Amino acid sequence: MTSRGAKALACLVAAALAVATLSACGEDSEGSGPRELTFFVAIQPGGTIEEVSKRCSEESNGRYTITPEFLPTDASQQREQLVRRLGAEDSSIDIVGMDVIWTGEFANAGWVEEWNGPLKQQVTEQVFPNVIETASFEDKLYAAPFNTNTQLLWYRKDLVKQPPKTWDEMIDQAEALKEAGSIQVQANRYEGFMVWANALIESAGTQILSGPESVELAQKPTEEALAVMGRLAGGSAAPPSLSTSAEDSARLGFEAGESAFMTNYTFAYASAKEEAPEIGKVMGFARFPEVVPGTPSKPPLGGFNLAVSAFSDNKDVAFDAAACLAGRDSQKTAVELDGLPPSRSDLYTDKAVTEAYPGFAELVKESIEGAGPRPTTPAYQDVSLAVQRSLHPPDKIDPEDTGPTYDELKSNLEDAVKREGLL
Amino acid sequence: MERGSRDYALWSIGIVLVLAFALVPVLWLISVSLKPPEAVTDGRFIPSEISFDNYKSLFEGGIDDSPFIKPLINSIGIALITTVIAITLAAFTAYAIARLEFPGKRVILAGALAIAMFPPISTVGPLFDMWRAIGLYDTWPGLIIPYLTFSLPLAIYVLVAFFREIPWELEQAAQVDGATPFQAFTKVIVPLAAPGVFTAAILVFIFAWNDFLFAISLTSSDASRTVPAALAFFTGESSFTQPTGSIAAAAVVVTVPIIVFVLFFQRRIVAGLTSGAVKG
Amino acid sequence: MSARTRSERKLAWMLCAPAVIAMLAVTAYPIVYAVVLSLQDVDLRFPEEGGFVGLDNYTAVLGSQLWWTDFFNTVFILLTTVAIELVLGMAIALVMHRAIFGRGVIRTSVLIPYGIITVVAAFAWQFAFAPETGFVNGLPLISDEMDWFGGRFSSFAVIIMAEVWKTTPFMALLLLAGLVTIDNQLYEAAKVDGASAWQRFTRITLPLMKPAILVALLFRSLDAFRVFDTIFIMTRGAQDTESVSILGFNQLISRLNLGLGSAVSVLIFICVFLIAFLFVKGFGTKLEEGRPGA
Repeated sequence: MTSRGAKALACLVAAALAVATLSACGEDSEGSGPRELTFFVAIQPGGTIEEVSKRCSEESNGRYTITPEFLPTDASQQREQLVRRLGAEDSSIDIVGMDVIWTGEFANAGWVEEWNGPLKQQVTEQVFPNVIETASFEDKLYAAPFNTNTQLLWYRKDLVKQPPKTWDEMIDQAEALKEAGSIQVQANRYEGFMVWANALIESAGTQILSGPESVELAQKPTEEALAVMGRLAGGSAAPPSLSTSAEDSARLGFEAGESAFMTNYTFAYASAKEEAPEIGKVMGFARFPEVVPGTPSKPPLGGFNLAVSAFSDNKDVAFDAAACLAGRDSQKTAVELDGLPPSRSDLYTDKAVTEAYPGFAELVKESIEGAGPRPTTPAYQDVSLAVQRSLHPPDKIDPEDTGPTYDELKSNLEDAVKREGLL
Repeated sequence: MERGSRDYALWSIGIVLVLAFALVPVLWLISVSLKPPEAVTDGRFIPSEISFDNYKSLFEGGIDDSPFIKPLINSIGIALITTVIAITLAAFTAYAIARLEFPGKRVILAGALAIAMFPPISTVGPLFDMWRAIGLYDTWPGLIIPYLTFSLPLAIYVLVAFFREIPWELEQAAQVDGATPFQAFTKVIVPLAAPGVFTAAILVFIFAWNDFLFAISLTSSDASRTVPAALAFFTGESSFTQPTGSIAAAAVVVTVPIIVFVLFFQRRIVAGLTSGAVKG
Repeated sequence: MSARTRSERKLAWMLCAPAVIAMLAVTAYPIVYAVVLSLQDVDLRFPEEGGFVGLDNYTAVLGSQLWWTDFFNTVFILLTTVAIELVLGMAIALVMHRAIFGRGVIRTSVLIPYGIITVVAAFAWQFAFAPETGFVNGLPLISDEMDWFGGRFSSFAVIIMAEVWKTTPFMALLLLAGLVTIDNQLYEAAKVDGASAWQRFTRITLPLMKPAILVALLFRSLDAFRVFDTIFIMTRGAQDTESVSILGFNQLISRLNLGLGSAVSVLIFICVFLIAFLFVKGFGTKLEEGRPGA
């Protein structure tokens, strides 16, 4: 019997005995046809994913084809789908689009593969250092940085001459403007709230965690950050539905002309230009406000990195494919079609970026360089839930007496990193 | 009975109130779906400008690429099949429980109730594993089976409650009058069972139609994804923008089959009484 | 045992078997698995750790203030929604039954809320009540700035309104089916005897509807206790409006702490079981018995 025949027989026997799996029993791993790779990632409305998948498949010269498998639009639903399948060691996933906050969790659980050697060099070349950190856990790289994201301060040039430098200044200005002077943030009880809280705490000079299992949260800076939250939420600068605000409702509120200030991602600019051109005309941009006057702020850091599943049957080609998908050309496509900020710093002088961010491309670059990422830990969801539970709704924080809130936050976080208690 | 104009007036008020209660939020949903994206937040009940863009975007791309058409087909097929099978199985069981003597009646009823009571979210994980292993993942049966499981208890209880009330001796009376057992069953019993059966059918259909949890966890492509799950994949202009208008439009379109189904079935709920079996 | 009884039993078992198999096949393994998990410390993100911990998860849950707050919220929502729905449902069922014109339209319209996808309905209500996007704040008597979702009881108000709107049709439908089976002749006879409309309602309608009312209340309560979508969409459980199902979801799906999450699920199951038990006992109607004399 030829070796091919023996293999075919073995396959038949295995298939008869085994339960149906999606492993490539019919494929000849000697390369008689491109390997099919599945790419599990969220849909991008502008078509980035389809475009880069197609291009990278073509550039592989027949080695592999990349098929996007879309995940729900909402990040936590994406995670739910991925976790269910990775937890079941599903071999039908090859490449995963990971939100920056899942790295610690997925890496620790052994669901994604480590990157080494020349490919590791390739995917981290020219990438912002703190973005590389978001794709790493315990000093090992687990994903190729694809796009990043950060928040800017957007303000109404017609209402405010000079953008405020600090949160306190902004709140003062907003309150002085009375009716039209509210500040849009994201304070619904979801991950966006954690983004805001984390940015404030980092800007104040401390961190939530100093290691995957240790709470830092120096008291004085944290209390300053909490005071900002409490002051905004409890004062007249708060929009009426602050406690259920999200990125979309924030931009809607700003576009409706109700607010003078907004902290939001880069999409807000393009959106205003299209949906509310009169507001778009007078929309100014500045760096995320400081908490402590004189100390540069640490804007939020978001984005997606591309990882190779530990249960993939095609790991060798998957790494190559992921490196292409996350490469320079793909990042350019992402910013052209969907306005997603690239993770490679050398792209910020490229025409694609300066056109997508007219006048503020440099600001976006600076913001990413100075950003304060959210904590990296396998227990990230617990940490996020703990923060949400302790600090939401923000108007319960008394800006004059932030001690009790600080204590609650610290104790909940200590439970969270140990994964104890109900959250 | 005389129907004076006072009666008509009172009933009209009552009917308007009921309709308002049921339909105002639906009208709101329709209104949101007809608003162009810029006006979505204008807070008006009646849109200042009507645009069908949201509806158009649902059907863009034809059968293969539209985000909505295949899920709609899946929803209709899965819900119908679930309903037919569930009612059949439940009717058998309810007939046995209501009419026959056998040990284990209580166990079945209690067990069915227990199943209806268990939080479905805990069953999703193991079910996912089971379906992946057997190959039912992302298939129609993969959804139909759990829907059956979770709708059978309600269907059984409803049918038992109604079968209990049927005067079974009428069947024998009809046979005494010369009908064959089959005729007795179909002409006497079936019309009396109709209200219960059609009530249960409506409830099962709506359950299968509306389910989100199983639909999103046990499917991964348009092969079997139903509309509630497909909504989770709708995007707005950017990944942060809520596709409010298109979701509202999808919800409106998806309610039309329900309306048709209910319109057809609700008449049968009274058919039993008017068939002449009970009178005389 | 006589041959007839034996054949009756056999027939009964055969009739019940398909349904029983359909129900057990899907749920037997998951339910047992969930119970087993609840006795262990299992976290999907830390596959190497964990092991049998007995009732530790249960003590953690029952000893937590969060569980009891959520439990109170859930019971509160259950009692208010079911009570309102029973009354409204009965009224609507009567209109559906006796309306002298437009019955088809009414019945269909009434069922539409129940047929709308739950998440979308919750979203529509939330959208309507949100200050920037909705029309409710523009209505007379309501302040423009009212932040419905900013306070505990105002949030509850919207949640309850949305739930009642969505599921009253369920009650109404079951009650209607119950109404329809009542023989008109009983009413005629009572009228001849001089009974008033109220008396006819309380002495004829209600008692004869007992089974329908029981099924409606029972299943509605079981569902009400597990309320999830509406609250999740509107407030995500903020302002202390969290229900036990959201708590379970947070542990099971967000934290992937399968041990704690399963313990919460089992506890939810036990609570719902108690509710069902109280119902069946309280109503005293034995559903499984045939009619007297049948």
